Amino acid sequence: MPAKEKSLEEMQEDILAQLQQLKIEEELLQDEMNNILTQAPFLNEKIKNLKKLLPSLKIIENEAVDLVHTINDISESSEQISGKIRALDSARSRVDECQGRVCDLIDLEICSQGVQTAILDADYEKGAAHVHRFLSMDQFLLQKTATDVENVSNTLKSVRTLEDAASQLRSIVEHKFTEAVRNEDLVSIERFFKIFPLLGMHDVGIKEFCMYLRGKVAFAAEKNLKTAITTPLSDKRQSVIFADTLTLLFEGLAKVVDVHQPLVETYYGPGRLFTAVNILQKECDIQVRRIFNEWMKSRQITTKMQQINETNKMSANSSFGKLERIDPKDLDILIGEITLMHYRSELYVRFIHRKVLADIDVGIPDVKNRDDAMNSFSNSMKCSELAQLKHELLSHYLRLEQYFMEESINKAVAMDFVDSAQQTSSMVDDTFFIVKKCIRRSISTGNLDGICAIINTACGVLENDFCDVLRSKLKQGYPSGYLDLTQAYNVLQSSIQQGRLQSGDTEQSRTAFIVALNNADSCTEYVDALCESVLKEIEQALPGMNANEHGKLESCLSGLSSVTSNLKDIIDYGIQQLRSSVIKPRVNPWVDAFLNISHQFTEEELSVYEAGETFVQTLIMNLESLLSSFRDVLTESNFDAFVSALTTEVTQRLEKVILKSSFNGLGGLILDKEVRSLASYITAATSWSVRDKFARLTQIATVLNLEQVSEITDYWGSHDGALTWRLTPSELKSFMLLRTDFKSEDVKRLKL
Amino acid sequence: MLNDVTPKNRQLTNFVKPYEIFSTPYYKLDFSEITKTFCESRNCKADSTSSLRVCKVIIVGDVSVGKTSIVNRFCRKMFDTSYKATIGVDFEMERFSILGIPYNLQIWDTAGQERFRSIAQSYYRNSHVFIAVVIIVFDLSKPDTLLNTRKWFFDAMNTCGDMLPYVFVVGTKKDLLGGFAYKTAELNAVNVAKSLNAEYWPVSSKNGENIDLLFARIAALTFDDCIKNEKARSRPITISNDIVSFKGRKGVYNSKCVNC
Repeated sequence: MPAKEKSLEEMQEDILAQLQQLKIEEELLQDEMNNILTQAPFLNEKIKNLKKLLPSLKIIENEAVDLVHTINDISESSEQISGKIRALDSARSRVDECQGRVCDLIDLEICSQGVQTAILDADYEKGAAHVHRFLSMDQFLLQKTATDVENVSNTLKSVRTLEDAASQLRSIVEHKFTEAVRNEDLVSIERFFKIFPLLGMHDVGIKEFCMYLRGKVAFAAEKNLKTAITTPLSDKRQSVIFADTLTLLFEGLAKVVDVHQPLVETYYGPGRLFTAVNILQKECDIQVRRIFNEWMKSRQITTKMQQINETNKMSANSSFGKLERIDPKDLDILIGEITLMHYRSELYVRFIHRKVLADIDVGIPDVKNRDDAMNSFSNSMKCSELAQLKHELLSHYLRLEQYFMEESINKAVAMDFVDSAQQTSSMVDDTFFIVKKCIRRSISTGNLDGICAIINTACGVLENDFCDVLRSKLKQGYPSGYLDLTQAYNVLQSSIQQGRLQSGDTEQSRTAFIVALNNADSCTEYVDALCESVLKEIEQALPGMNANEHGKLESCLSGLSSVTSNLKDIIDYGIQQLRSSVIKPRVNPWVDAFLNISHQFTEEELSVYEAGETFVQTLIMNLESLLSSFRDVLTESNFDAFVSALTTEVTQRLEKVILKSSFNGLGGLILDKEVRSLASYITAATSWSVRDKFARLTQIATVLNLEQVSEITDYWGSHDGALTWRLTPSELKSFMLLRTDFKSEDVKRLKL
Repeated sequence: MLNDVTPKNRQLTNFVKPYEIFSTPYYKLDFSEITKTFCESRNCKADSTSSLRVCKVIIVGDVSVGKTSIVNRFCRKMFDTSYKATIGVDFEMERFSILGIPYNLQIWDTAGQERFRSIAQSYYRNSHVFIAVVIIVFDLSKPDTLLNTRKWFFDAMNTCGDMLPYVFVVGTKKDLLGGFAYKTAELNAVNVAKSLNAEYWPVSSKNGENIDLLFARIAALTFDDCIKNEKARSRPITISNDIVSFKGRKGVYNSKCVNC
């Protein structure tokens, strides 16, 4: 029974193991017990000690209870104390109040007694101070106090006296004030002005005082206007006398505001300037209107306007409506005066705005009220006569300025003068001088709408009238002098018939054409410069523009710069004219000379050809003579455009004649050389690259200069050495066929 | 500002019809073929030449007929009952995207008062660089303002020179009228518009009726012309070997649109 044996063995092992474990446990327990036993004496000691402590614990407990009681007592009593203090406090405040009331009552007595004597002594400041004291008392409380006091009747009497005195003083002060105004007694005016707020008459005071100031302003303005009207014509300020008068008025008003603002602020408190200015503004409106009317009358604005309108209508209907035009020069001074007047008004409005808004800002703390006050002030300024007159002035200004600009430019065009030393004529400088002057003047009005309107007008004038002049000059064409025979004959005939066959005739019209072309070119530069300088000046003159205003201005200026695109069209047109009348008739025969030379050279022929004058030398010489006749008369960019037109013409023509020729290897070599020297000549002649224009021609030369047909693969295809071809495969093949030594089958077999 | 994405209601993909077919002299009912093909070709390519196409719209009319209200409704979606006179000229720029191409309406809101007349006039004066639109506004509830449209029309025409702007006669405050009153007002207005060769639109700035449509119509009409002109201009000048003829180019010079 091995299983049993085994299990027996196993069991034995198990038992042994358990025995072992038990032994270990026993040992552990033994240890623990030892430990505990050793601790026993310590514990005993401790228990003994604790036993000793027990009685003192009880004592502590009793004491703690006592403490709680005490604290409760304290808190209770402190609450009682604070209650008492509170009561005391209120009592004290009542006493204070009572004292105040008593003070009031005493003051009341004093005031009521003092006020009468003060009035009798005409010591209004004192009286007003009494009344002010009285007014600063709480009237309702006063009544109540009065009922509490024994001698009710006495107090009430005082109150009544004071009320009476107040009304009495009010009427006296008002009366005295008007009297002082009547007597122009500045000291008493100021004296009573200060009394008004003491009597609680802020609004009345400001009103009365401003009425007085109004009168003063009116008087001064009247005097100024009179002197203005009576100023002799010879006076040197006569031309701007109304602007001066207006300036005086504004300066006077500004001074009044400036001087009296601190006064108002000290005695009436801030936030009241608005009322004062409103009253003064009314006088300002009246006076401005008077000056304006006087100005209209004396400068005969209405008649001038009518005349201008009529001339405008006339010129619209018939071109020769030469009634009686006003000379723009005469208007110059008047326009200057208007701008001055407008600018002064603008400055004044800005000044008042700044003052009042600052005052409102300080004086009215509540945001909503402040905004309301600001809005109502802005509105009242906007609706004021002054604002309206400003707009009327601006409207007159715009009409006159527009007329001035148009007429002056017409004049400049009519008086156009060509100085042979210059490439352009006087017209361009004059016109831009006028335009700049007008825009500058509009800037000096200080009104963005006005500036924009003038810029628009300038734009219209330049774009329509001025460009038309240039265009019509170019339309007359450039007399080539290379007319074909029948044409020449006809011209000759008609010239003889009209008896004006002069050699200078064509020369003159040539110069006129060239000058017009140059004018157009320099105009483009001027327009750009004008835009830039105008923008800068406006930004300086009107620093506080918002985004919208900026947009407005920029859009107007962009209108001005778009004049350049019109001018570019004109230049284009002129160059085309030159191309058909100058370049084509000359260049074609020069290039056609290519056909006279056989390009199938032997070595000998080649050296002979190169020794003599080659085709390209002659061509370059001819081109040089043509270009040199234009180099100095045309402006730089016009000359470049001219060279570009010439280059196009030459290369195209050359391409054509090449197609009509045939080449051998040496011929191709020569052609390549010649094309290169032509290209380098023209590149040298102009400041701008002509490589592009020569691309086709150089490629043709390359094709014709090949050693073998198969060599083309070096250039064609998508590998590194390949060219970007301007020729189509079929074109390329047809050029290759011009080589007599290339077999046409080889060429045709090429796969491109 | 220009890089903002154009809002949905400013994107046009279809041509906008007139208010009523009998109330317009402009019979165009769809974009021209030129424009369509141009726009399609442009859509494929990246917008390389982003030259700014602008149309100038000038709004004129009597005092307090609601010129500024139209602009405010259109540009700011708001309506303010309090009257505030316009001083001089106000200016707004509104972006459109038509057939995927950006297009801007430049709106000039003028003052109705006589004393601002010269300022307003200077704006028609140089407007011939762009394709221009004149909107003459009148108050549907005040018949005399309708009569004055004639005056405004001639004022505009006199100063415009030889160009012909699109003219719209727009009646405002439609919400104030109802039923029969409106019918009569409309009948008169249509007649006046016809006599001026202008397109008639009734609008209400208060509830926004027709405002967006009107401007969309303007944008579509002018955009079409703008593209056509551009195409006519930029036709490549083929350099032929015969003598250059100027006849082809003359027409181009006279065209009114240079900048678009």
